[in-house]
Amino acid sequence: MTAQVIAPATQVPPALSLQALYKDFGGTRALDGASLEVAKGSIHGLVGQNGAGKSTLIKILAGLHRPDGGAIAVDGAFQDHLTPHRAENLGIHFIHQERLLVPSFSVGEALFVGQESLAGSTRLLNRRKLQAKATSILRERFDLALPADALIGDLTVAQQQIVQVTRALLANPSILVFDEPTAALVKREVDVLLETIRRLRQQGLTIVYISHYLSEIEAICDRVTVLRNGKDVATVDPQATSASEIAALMIARDVTELFPKQAVQSAEPILQISGLGRPPAFADVSFTVRRGEIVGLTGLLGSGAKELLRSLFGLEKPSQGSIEIDGAARSIGTPRAAMENGIAFVPEDRRGQRIAAELSVRENISLASLRLFSRFNLVQRKRERAHCDRLIERLGIRTAGGEAPVKSLSGGNQQKVALAKWLSRQSRLYILDEPTIGVDIGAKADIYRLLGELAAGGAGILILSTDLIELTGICDRVLVMFRGRLIGDFSTATASGDAIFDAATGAAERGIAEPAAAELGAGELQHVG
Amino acid sequence: MSVSYGTAAVEQHGSFASRTMPARPARRFLHRGLLRTGSLLVFIAVFTAFSLASPLFLTFANIVTVIGQSAVVGILAFGLTSVIIGGGADVVRGGIDLSLASNLGLGSAVYASLVQAGYGDAAAIAATLAVGLSVGTVNAISIVSIGILPLLATVAVMNICGGLELVLTQNTAISVSTPLLDLLSGTDRFGIPFLAYVIVAVAAILIVTLQYTAYGLRLYAVGEHREAARAAGLPVQAYVVSSYLISGLCGGIAAILYTALLSGSTTGSGEMLLPVVATALLGNVFSGRLLPTIGGTLLSTLLIGFLANGFQLLHVSSYWVSGIQGLLILSVVAATSLVRRRRS
Repeated sequence: MTAQVIAPATQVPPALSLQALYKDFGGTRALDGASLEVAKGSIHGLVGQNGAGKSTLIKILAGLHRPDGGAIAVDGAFQDHLTPHRAENLGIHFIHQERLLVPSFSVGEALFVGQESLAGSTRLLNRRKLQAKATSILRERFDLALPADALIGDLTVAQQQIVQVTRALLANPSILVFDEPTAALVKREVDVLLETIRRLRQQGLTIVYISHYLSEIEAICDRVTVLRNGKDVATVDPQATSASEIAALMIARDVTELFPKQAVQSAEPILQISGLGRPPAFADVSFTVRRGEIVGLTGLLGSGAKELLRSLFGLEKPSQGSIEIDGAARSIGTPRAAMENGIAFVPEDRRGQRIAAELSVRENISLASLRLFSRFNLVQRKRERAHCDRLIERLGIRTAGGEAPVKSLSGGNQQKVALAKWLSRQSRLYILDEPTIGVDIGAKADIYRLLGELAAGGAGILILSTDLIELTGICDRVLVMFRGRLIGDFSTATASGDAIFDAATGAAERGIAEPAAAELGAGELQHVG
Repeated sequence: MSVSYGTAAVEQHGSFASRTMPARPARRFLHRGLLRTGSLLVFIAVFTAFSLASPLFLTFANIVTVIGQSAVVGILAFGLTSVIIGGGADVVRGGIDLSLASNLGLGSAVYASLVQAGYGDAAAIAATLAVGLSVGTVNAISIVSIGILPLLATVAVMNICGGLELVLTQNTAISVSTPLLDLLSGTDRFGIPFLAYVIVAVAAILIVTLQYTAYGLRLYAVGEHREAARAAGLPVQAYVVSSYLISGLCGGIAAILYTALLSGSTTGSGEMLLPVVATALLGNVFSGRLLPTIGGTLLSTLLIGFLANGFQLLHVSSYWVSGIQGLLILSVVAATSLVRRRRS
């Protein structure tokens, strides 16, 4: 452990200085000369798409990865062999996105495990004392009162996050790194957390703050560094730089290019449903999807939108109404029947569970459509490869090649592989359930472009999404469900996002935005974080 | 989670379903409590029923005898419990030590052979405990250093121990008698078997170690959520190793008691494996959080012991006993998994 002073004595050295870091993972360059300098006592934002190198950078700082090249200095002293233990001794602590707390522990146990002596040094562990101490710390620092016998697993995500911050603070850190801490918090909780972070800065802590939400970066950061393709492309003052400029730096492309929307001529309908219903989930739903059209479908949890989508693919059986495909009445009782009618369904897949991580990109993509490249039931590798390479290119999947295992890809790119798998089938109608959840801007753009191409090729597309920007950006029309009814059919050329939002939350009809908004996405969270 | 572009409009309703927290039902507390209370009630019901049915059941002599008879299975189950604590309760990928029963068989064979060869109790004890620790070490190396699944690693070690036992004893019973073995298989002047003292003492030591020290808390953290333990800066592998050493040592201690109980070593100790596994799994329901605990395992050992004893006193065929035990274990473990599934 050599510690060599580099900065002149008169000047305060940066709390943290990462200089030209390089890191390769089996052929994929995760970091390509990334640098980051964080001034003492400041809040420094770090943004970038998934796969830009943020997590690699953070893991190097945590001592979990060793860089292939570059230098790390903490408080002006070079650290040439950073281990998790060493990082902790230097006062660098991490608040991870996934709440790394034992779910079956009490709050006191979770707070003090590994640092039990901080709860008062006795040879034997006194659980009641741990709990009492935890309760008083949480009340003092965060004005938070938790039920005395609550286990971590009983707490809300936000409460767990606060327990995790408290845990880090107990060790008296000098640098705190927040890795997307708000990913699963509601607005009010985010405000509390941001306020807490500001307070920590006042107390002299240095903070590195990683988030997908540029508004948060704007709200609390003094500086923000943008990573792209493993390099730091800019470090700017978020007060003086607009969020869209930062977003543009992240994707190296103008944001307006994100949604390549093509106007659709009125073509013949592919899907026509009338009076479709499966009470109590939904009833009396009628609409049409035309060739070349991208139609959005949205609604709160319990609006019936999800059930409607599932009915169209035969996953649930509607009890009323009719479905016509290409003008002929069809009964779609099973997914198989749906597929025979040229319907493809991309299920919701936020965490990439439907990917076989050990298998290669090619195997994952062609898994669902081997028949396309088979003759006499034998797979023709050459055709399979060509097909996969085409999809890799079309979706812009960043991989060392078709034979690379999917687990070597970044999260966003794994998501694209999952999508490619379902899009391999040539279909007339594509039904997608939240296709871009958990996907970064760049990957989104690639997915939108592909959907645009599919539509231009004459397919009809129906997307269930709760992302209004996405809906207004890529769809020709947006259908809004509310409490089991189709209550709106908006043309995105004329309707505003606000109008759609009001309809979806019921505010437009009943003036009850508040309670409806509160029940929003109650099912969301089980997929997040 | 979608990316927002930071404009006011986005913040207001971009991705409008993304930020909500789940309502955690307070009912969950209730389920946990119900199961625990229910299990304790079963225990009391079994106890009461037998007391009413047989005048011999609720006597001091009978109770201490059952406790003494439970010592061997109980101590093996303690070993298994510590491994499950440190490795996690997942039956397939979590901590498990299937070598415990053959560890006991090998240890007992070593004890008996050494005594037969003219060595005294002290040497035999040292050798038996050393065998137990070595078995634990081999388990730990296979699991932690080589990375074999505990289920597979300990099955392999189980076979190794079984084979060594056969080599050592040539598949024969070895009868031995030493002052220590005689003492252990006897009773004190109150009629309490010494084995009862041993199981209580071992349980007490392990309860303090695993429930009332920082080590124990950390071991639970390692088993319940390895990533969280790592993030808390714990050397998780060292903790996993330590749990297998505890288990091996329990195997050694049980081997000595087993030798005393049978006045020597016999083959067939492997049959004890499934009762031990069942006992350790059953123990979970006696903990408020459905976690493996030494106290819970002690209770489940005694429950099964009293069950067998009660049926014996009522002259119920022993065939029924194991069937009823199985049913009980199945229903309790099913209840536990249901509550656990609800939790996740």
